Amino acid sequence: MEPGSGLPQRRVGGGGLDLGAGSAAGSPALSGGQSRRRKQPPRPADFKLQVIIIGSRGVGKTSLMERFTDDTFCEACKSTVGVDFKIKTVELRGKKIRLQIWDTAGQERFNSITSAYYRSAKGIILVYDITKKETFDDLPKWMKMIDKYASEDAELLLVGNKLDCEVDREITRQQGEKFAQQITGMRFCEASAKDNFNVDEIFLKLVDDILKKMPLDVIRNELSNSILSLQPEPEIPPELPPPRPHVRCC
Amino acid sequence: MAAACAGMEAAAAAAPAPPPSPPPPAAAAAAAAGPGWAELVCAQGRNLKAVLCQRCGSRVLLPGAATFARRELLLPAMRKKAAAAAAAGGGDVVREHWLVRDMFSFENVGFTRDVGNVKFLVCADCEAGPIGWHCLDDKDSFYVALERVAHE
Repeated sequence: MEPGSGLPQRRVGGGGLDLGAGSAAGSPALSGGQSRRRKQPPRPADFKLQVIIIGSRGVGKTSLMERFTDDTFCEACKSTVGVDFKIKTVELRGKKIRLQIWDTAGQERFNSITSAYYRSAKGIILVYDITKKETFDDLPKWMKMIDKYASEDAELLLVGNKLDCEVDREITRQQGEKFAQQITGMRFCEASAKDNFNVDEIFLKLVDDILKKMPLDVIRNELSNSILSLQPEPEIPPELPPPRPHVRCC
Repeated sequence: MAAACAGMEAAAAAAPAPPPSPPPPAAAAAAAAGPGWAELVCAQGRNLKAVLCQRCGSRVLLPGAATFARRELLLPAMRKKAAAAAAAGGGDVVREHWLVRDMFSFENVGFTRDVGNVKFLVCADCEAGPIGWHCLDDKDSFYVALERVAHE
């Protein structure tokens, strides 16, 4: 799975799947059926949000994506082709939210991940492995990508993964916290995709932050229509790194 | 790119024809589903029950989110052994599907990377699959094979 070769595929996939978000579940064909008396038409999602998971090779990005809302950690079931993205539904504060989660596994080289992923993401989960110092040392490089390509209002969450491998820990919790504190609004937590420790919480908190941050009308209009628009646009590197301490933790 | 899609279907078409399904007079949609599936289809041709992953029970579709559709599609085998056995060009021809028109109508689903012009659908949670099929040439059609999911 060469990063380079993966890219065009993604673009094609994203573009090809670019459906108008407006036509959610309740299609016109649903109205007025007598069999609907008992069952309401499926409620369309209230919000649609795109989340990307980034981080160096082997930190467990894919596992995080799998574990979310799931209780079966299964290593045997990897499809040979690999999963491109997932649609997941969560309910939060009475709202039904469809998440589109992109995992960038296989495209770990910093320059190989298309800026389009970043641009449309409302949430970015940056993952390192607490047992591998080099993945922690890579974080500034990932932050450069985020600064360059991601929307300014994207919610950021730093995740120290593989908490189940405590004996091999190379990066202390304090180091992770300290890194996150240098970046405005970045949350931090440690997690274990293997034990499902903190995994659901990661996504829910991220979504909650995104929702809290946005006025409802913005979410309804702008957000729900921007999802999946992965067509490359002119690149706009905004250079926005004002490091201010900000303490928050899950 | 279209060739990949066509190839798939050509392969599917080469398989034996579906068993004839006698048309009960009541509901045309249910009739289309055939004897085995009729109880899953409402009078409007929609899914009466929720569609779940057979293995982990993850919710793929809510009741009413999809319509019954017939189409011969070739899906790679779900189980590894079967997949290996059929490695030569294998898979199962599946004919009965839930057709979903909007990706965001799914509760939970995963999309594989492109295979030619196709993305296969898998369980979003345990990645069992493929449970369905999507051709990049037809942005508004997502097929979920009835025989590869559970209904509840």
